[in-house]
Amino acid sequence: MPASPSQPHSTPARSSDVGRRRPPLALVDVKIRPTLFGAQHIRRSCKRGAWRASPVSASARTFTDSILESTPAPPTMASGLPNPTSTWELVSGQYYRKLTLFTPSWAHEEDLNLDDYLVAGAPFGGALALWKDPRKFHTYQGVQSAKPSITICNLAGGLLRRITWDRGPIQAIGWSDDEHLLVVTADGSVRCYYDFQGNFTQFSLGSDAEEHGVVSCRFWGTGFVALLGNNAFVTVNRYDEPRPRPLALPKLPSPESKIHSWAIIPPNYSDSRHVEVIMATDQTILIVDATESQDQILQNGPFHHISVSPNGSYVALYTGDGKVWVIDVKFQQKLSEYDSGKTGEIPIDVQWCGVDSVVLVWEDEVHMVGPNGAALRWYYDNRVNLVPEMDGIRMITTEKCEFLQRVPDVTRSIFEFGSSSPPAGLLEAVGHLERKSPKADDAIQLIRPSLPEAVAACVQAAGHEFDVGWQKQLLKAASFGKSVLELYNSDDFVEMCKTLRVLNAVRYYEVGLGITMDQLERLTPDKLIERLVARQEHLLALRISDYLSLPTDKIYIHWACMKVKLSVDDEDAICKDIVEKLKNERGIAYDAIAKAAFEEGRGRLATQLLNHEPRAGRQVPLLMSMEEDEIALDKAIESTDSDLVFYVLLHLKKKLPVATFFRMINNRPVAYSLIESSARYHDTELLKDLYYQDDRKTDGANVILRESLSQENFTTRIDKLKLASKLLKDSKDHLVEASALEESIRLLTLQESLERDIFEESFVGLPLNETIFKLTRLGFYPRANKIRAEFKMPDKRFWWIKLRGLVAKREWAEIEEWSKSKSSPIGWEPFFNECLSAGNTKVAAIFIPKCKNLNHTERINMWVQCGMIVKAGEEAVTARDYHALEALLPKATGAAVPEIQRMMQKLRPSK
Amino acid sequence: MKPSTKKNSQFFIESWLTSRTAQIKSAPRIPGQDFEHSLFFVPRRTPLCDRILEDEGVFGDVTINEYPLYFIPLEPDVLSLELDDAFEDLYLHKTYTSIFNSAKALMLLQQQYGLFPRITGKGDKGKRLMDALMRMRNEAAAEDASTSMALAPSSIIDNLIIIDRETDLVTPLLTQLTYEGLIDETFGLNNSHVELEASLLGSAGQTPADSTGRSVGVPAAPQAKKRKVLLEGSDRVFSELRNVNFSAVPAILKKTALRIDADFKKKDDCKTVSEMKTYVTKVLGPAQKDRTSLSMHFNIAEVIQKHINTELFEKTLEVQQSLIAGYSSTQQHELLTELIARGASLETVLRLLCLYSCVNTGFKPKDFDLFRREILQGYGYEHVLTLAALEKVALFQSRTVAGSASTAASRTNYDYLRNRLKLFNENINESEPNDIVYVYSVYAPLSVRLVQCVIQKSEMVLAAKGEKTLGPNSAGWKGFEDVVKHVGGKTFDELQKAPQNMLTAKMILDGQNEKKVTVVFFLGGITYTEIAALRWIAQKEGERRQIIIATTGIINGNKIIHAATADAQTKPTPH
Repeated sequence: MPASPSQPHSTPARSSDVGRRRPPLALVDVKIRPTLFGAQHIRRSCKRGAWRASPVSASARTFTDSILESTPAPPTMASGLPNPTSTWELVSGQYYRKLTLFTPSWAHEEDLNLDDYLVAGAPFGGALALWKDPRKFHTYQGVQSAKPSITICNLAGGLLRRITWDRGPIQAIGWSDDEHLLVVTADGSVRCYYDFQGNFTQFSLGSDAEEHGVVSCRFWGTGFVALLGNNAFVTVNRYDEPRPRPLALPKLPSPESKIHSWAIIPPNYSDSRHVEVIMATDQTILIVDATESQDQILQNGPFHHISVSPNGSYVALYTGDGKVWVIDVKFQQKLSEYDSGKTGEIPIDVQWCGVDSVVLVWEDEVHMVGPNGAALRWYYDNRVNLVPEMDGIRMITTEKCEFLQRVPDVTRSIFEFGSSSPPAGLLEAVGHLERKSPKADDAIQLIRPSLPEAVAACVQAAGHEFDVGWQKQLLKAASFGKSVLELYNSDDFVEMCKTLRVLNAVRYYEVGLGITMDQLERLTPDKLIERLVARQEHLLALRISDYLSLPTDKIYIHWACMKVKLSVDDEDAICKDIVEKLKNERGIAYDAIAKAAFEEGRGRLATQLLNHEPRAGRQVPLLMSMEEDEIALDKAIESTDSDLVFYVLLHLKKKLPVATFFRMINNRPVAYSLIESSARYHDTELLKDLYYQDDRKTDGANVILRESLSQENFTTRIDKLKLASKLLKDSKDHLVEASALEESIRLLTLQESLERDIFEESFVGLPLNETIFKLTRLGFYPRANKIRAEFKMPDKRFWWIKLRGLVAKREWAEIEEWSKSKSSPIGWEPFFNECLSAGNTKVAAIFIPKCKNLNHTERINMWVQCGMIVKAGEEAVTARDYHALEALLPKATGAAVPEIQRMMQKLRPSK
Repeated sequence: MKPSTKKNSQFFIESWLTSRTAQIKSAPRIPGQDFEHSLFFVPRRTPLCDRILEDEGVFGDVTINEYPLYFIPLEPDVLSLELDDAFEDLYLHKTYTSIFNSAKALMLLQQQYGLFPRITGKGDKGKRLMDALMRMRNEAAAEDASTSMALAPSSIIDNLIIIDRETDLVTPLLTQLTYEGLIDETFGLNNSHVELEASLLGSAGQTPADSTGRSVGVPAAPQAKKRKVLLEGSDRVFSELRNVNFSAVPAILKKTALRIDADFKKKDDCKTVSEMKTYVTKVLGPAQKDRTSLSMHFNIAEVIQKHINTELFEKTLEVQQSLIAGYSSTQQHELLTELIARGASLETVLRLLCLYSCVNTGFKPKDFDLFRREILQGYGYEHVLTLAALEKVALFQSRTVAGSASTAASRTNYDYLRNRLKLFNENINESEPNDIVYVYSVYAPLSVRLVQCVIQKSEMVLAAKGEKTLGPNSAGWKGFEDVVKHVGGKTFDELQKAPQNMLTAKMILDGQNEKKVTVVFFLGGITYTEIAALRWIAQKEGERRQIIIATTGIINGNKIIHAATADAQTKPTPH
C-alpha cells in the first residue's frame, strides 16, 4: 500500500460547516507530544510509512522493553513526577480526585463563553453537543451565526461537526451509548444523527406529542423518555427501529398539580426490566412504568431535583428547603441527608458522581456530597456543566474539562500519605532501584510474602492513572516485582500495557476521548473502534484493531464510503484506488460502499464497485434502488434465497405492467414458480392471466376448478365447472378429466334434486360411489340402480358398493334375496366376509356353499369361522379329509362332539 | 396462534415464504392497541417480512425479532429442520425455499465442525443444494477472516451424502413395517409426537408422556380424549422397539415385561438399608417408568396388530410386495379396482397407484384412463387437481409421458436396480435381520442402498456378485458409477480441499479422530424405516463409522399424498 501521507485520509471536511479547517484527518503528519508516549508509539509506526505496520509483538518482555526504550526514563523519574495526591480531597474518610482531562481549545470561536450554551455529553468520555441556550440573550454576531446550530466537539474542544438547525425549537439533546446524537423538538419529532457527517434518521413521537408538545426528555444508553405537555410520558426503547410507546398516565394528586422534576430508571436497572419514571409532584413522588403509576406517599416535597445513581439503586432528591436526601430506590430508607444551606436558590443540576456521592451545581458553585452527608465545595468563574459517567462525573467549563471520581482503592493504597501497603513498598523499592540504592532489595524483602498481590495492585493502579509518567512508574514497579517472583503469569500485565497504550492513544488531544479504564471495559474495544471511525480516525482505528486483533473490515468500508463521498477525483480513479487498497482484505462489503456512491449520485461508480461484491444477495437491494431490475432479479436468483427473489418480484409486480412482468419471469423458472405458488392462494386472477398468456389451458382450468370448489353458490359452482371442462377439452390431452368434469356437473345436479326429495340428508359434493352407497344404505334401491345405469358404473364396483350398503343397513333379508341370483361378478366370498365381519354368522354361512371356486380346506375354515363345526365336518367328509376332521374335534362342543366322532368313524375304515 | 390476554403477546412465525403471509397478516390483527405484540421470525427476518408487514400496515405496531432455528435434534443421531412443506416446495411448487434453508443449516454445521471433505449425492434438487452450499462457502470465505480457520476441511466429519427424495419415491410410498414406522402409518407422528386416545396411555392414569410439562391435551369430546405423547430414545422400552420389524415386537415386549418384573423382584435381595436405598434410586425409579411405558406400548401394539390383521391391510401389502418384486400386473389391477370399490382410503389407493406408476414406468394409456376414472368417481371429481399434482411430481403418469426420452434421465429404473442392488429379498429373518431389507420385510430402501454404495462398498460388492473388488480407499460413487446411472437425477461427487498447512493445523486442533462421521442428508424428507435402516448400518459399522442423519423433515406416503390432495380440499370460505 502506498505510504503517501495524503492517503487515505486526505478527505477534507466539508467547507460549509467549518469555521476553521480541521487539520487533515491523518495522524501521520501530526506533531508528536512527547508526554503521550502511547499515542506516539503507535503514530510513529505510521510515520515509518507502511499503512499497516508490522504487528506489535505481544509478548510481555518485548513490550515492556519497548515502553521503557521509547522514552528513556530519567534516573530520578519518581521524584520528577507530580505527587498524585495533590488532586485528592478527603470527604468523610473517602478520597476524591478531580483531574483535568483537557483544556478545551474553544479557539475556533474566539469569544465563546460556555455560559451561553447548553451542553450535552455522550457517555464514556464521548463527544459534547453545544447549542445556544434559548433562554439567554446573545450578542448579535451577524447574519451568519443567527441561524441556530448545534456544535459537536470532542472533549478537547476539537470541532467534529456543526449541524445547522432548520427545524423548530429544540427541546432536548441527548446521546446514546453508540454516540448517536438525539435532538428532540417541541413538536415531538426526533432526529437521530448516527454519524458525525450530519446524516440522520427521523421519527415522530406520535400525535399526542404533536398536539401537546414535548416539555423535556431524559436519555439512557439505548433510549429515552419524553414528558409531554399533557403530563404524559412517551418512551422509545431503541433507535434502529423506534417504536414510541406511552407509559401509564401519572395519577397526579389534583389536576392542577405540577411536575416539579423527574428522572428515569433505565430498563436494565429496573425491577420490571422496562424503563420507569420517578417524578415529583406536589409533596410526593410518583413512580410510573408502562402499566401503572404508584404514589410513594411522601410529605416533604416539593422536590426540585431527582437523580438516580448510575447503578439504579439510589435516588438523590433535592428538597424545597435546600436539603439533599439520598434514598434507596424502593423509597424505604433514607441513607443520608445534607443541608446545602441555600434555601433560596435551586441548583441548576444535581447528578451522581459514581455510586456514592452527589454533585450539585449552582451556576458557579459546586457541592459534592459524600456518603455520610459531608461535602466538598468548589467555586468557579463560570457555569459548570455536568456529564455523569458510570465511575465518576465530568465537569465542563469554558476553561477546562475535569473528571471527578472517588480515588480507586488500589490507587489509594499506594499513594495515600504514610501508606505501608505492599504495593506502596514495591513502588518505593523501584524508586530505590532507580537511584541505585541498595535499599531496593531491603524494601522488596520486606513485602516478599505479599509480592504477587503487590504486583497485581501496581498493574491495576497503572490502569487508573491518567499521568503517563506514573503509569510507567507503576508498571516498572510491577515489572521489578515480577522479576523477583519465580512464577508469575504475565497475562494481566501484558493486557494492561495494551489497554494503556490504547487509552493513551485515544486520550491524545486530537482525538479527545476522555475515557477511563473501567469505562473502556464497559464500552468494549469494538465500540471504541466504532467511535474512532465515526471521528474519521481511520488509521488510528486500524492500528488499534490490528493491535488488539479485532476485525478491520468495517474500518475499511467506512473509509471507502468516506472516500466515495468526499473525494473529488474522477470516478475511475476512485474505484481503482478503493479496489487497489482493499483487494487483500476479507469480508469487505462492497455493496455498502456502492450504496454510498449511489446515494452520492455516482451511479456509474456504484455499478463498478458493486461488481466487486462476491455475495450476490448483497447486491440486490442496491440494484433495486438503482432500478436495475433485471440484474437485481438475476442476482437474487443466483443467491438461491427465495425470500429475496420474492422480495424483488413483489417490487417488480407493483412497478411494471403485467405483460412486461410476465415476460421478465417467463424464462426464469424459479421466479415463475414463486409467482405461481404465491398467486395460487392470494391472487388467482394474476394466475389466470399468467396461464392464459402462456396458453397453459390445463393449469388455467385447474385454477377455475379450485375456484368452483370454494364457491358456495350452486349455480356459480356449476358455471365454473363448465368453464373448466371447456378449457380442458380445448387442451386435448386431458379428455378424461374434461369428461369427468361434465360428469360431475350431472352428478351435482342430480344430487341437488336428491336433496330436495330426501330431507335431512346431504348429497351435494359426495363422490359417485359414496352417493350410491348412501342411497343403498337409506334403502332407495331403484334410485341407486338408476344412477348406476346413468353413469355406466361397472358391475363389479356396483356389487361391492351395494353389498357394503346393505351390510351397513343390516338389511339381511335383502342380502338373502340377492344371493339367489345366479352368479356374482365379484364372487360370493366378499358376501361371506362382509356379513361375517358385521357379526351375522347365519347369513354369512349361506354363502359358503356358493364359494365353489375355493378348495375344501378354505371352506372348512369358513364354517369354523361361523361356528358351525358340524357343517365343517360334513365338508371334510365330502372331501374325505380325515386329518381336517381330527383338527376339528378339539373345536367342537356339546352335540357336535359325538357328531364329529361319528364322521371320523365313518372315514377311518377307508384309510 | 390465539390472541392472549397477556400484556405481552408473542408470535413465532416462519418466514419461509408466502404461504406464511396469511399468518403474518392474521397475527397482528388482534384488536386493542393496549397490547404489545412481538413477532419472532423463524429462522430469519428478511426484507420480505418487513415489506409484507408494511403492506399490511402493521409494521409500526409490533416489535420484530428473529429466532434462528435451523436443525432441531430429534434424537442424538437425527437432525431435522422439521419443514412440514418441504416436499411440496421442492417437487410440486418448485420454489426451492427448503434448499436455501437446508444449505444454511448445513453451513452452520460446517462452521462448527469444518467443511465436509467430500460431498457425494444424487438427484437434481440435491445438486442444487450442493451448489448452494458451495456458493455459501465461498461467500463465507469472503465474509470474515475469523471464520476462515473453521472453513478448513473437517477432521471429524468424513463426508456428506445428499440423497434427493426424488431419486427414490418408491420407499415412502410403501407401508413402513418397523414399529415406529407403523405407529407413523397408523396414528401419525408429528414432530416426534403421537396423538393417542387417553385410554391407550396405560394403567397409570397420569401421563409421564409429555416430558416438557406443557399441557397439550386437546380439549375434545370427553369420550374420545386425545393426548399428545412424545416418543423418543430416552424411553428405554421404546428405544428397544422402534427400529425392529413389527413381527418381532411381541417377543421384545414379552422380554421387557420379564426384565421389568425381575427389576421389581430385586428388592427381595436387598438386606441392608443402604442396599434398599440404592435399589429405590437406581432400579425402582427407571423400572416404574418402564412399566408405565410398557403398558402404553402394549396398547399401541395391540391397536396396530388389529389394524394389520384387517383384510384391507393384507391386500394392500400384497399389492405392494408383488409390485416391488416385479411380478406381472393384471392381478394387481384387479386388486386395485377392488380396493377402490370397497372404499379403501384415498391415501391407500393413491399410494398403490403411484407405486405402480413408479415401478413400471407409468401406466399404459388405457389403464391410465381407467384408473383416473376410478379415482374421480370413487373419491370425487375435485381430485382432478390431485391427479394433476401427482403427475407434476412424476408420481402418477402415463407411459407415454414417463417413458419418453426427455424424462429418462430423471427416472429411476427399478427393474435394473432390483437385481443389481438386491432391493428385493424374501428370505429374511425379521427378528434377527442380516440386511436392511427387514424394514419393509422384503424390500431394501433404494435410498439407503445408495448410502451403502458410498460407505459400505465391500458389502455391496458382495451383494452384487461378479464385481471386481475395490480398494479400501475408494470413495464417492467409485465402483458403482454404472449403477448410479440408472437412478434418476444428476450425480455429483465433490471434494472440498484446503491448503495442506491449514489441514494439519485443523487436525492438531481437533485431534485425530478414529471414528469417522458420515452425515447423510435427506432432502425432501426421510421415513422412519430409512432411519431404522441407517441405524442398523451404523450399528454394523460399529467403531469404524458414525452416521448422523439430517433431513428437511420426517415424511411418509400419506404426507406425500396429502401434499397432492391439498388443492382438492379447498372448502368454501365462510363469509
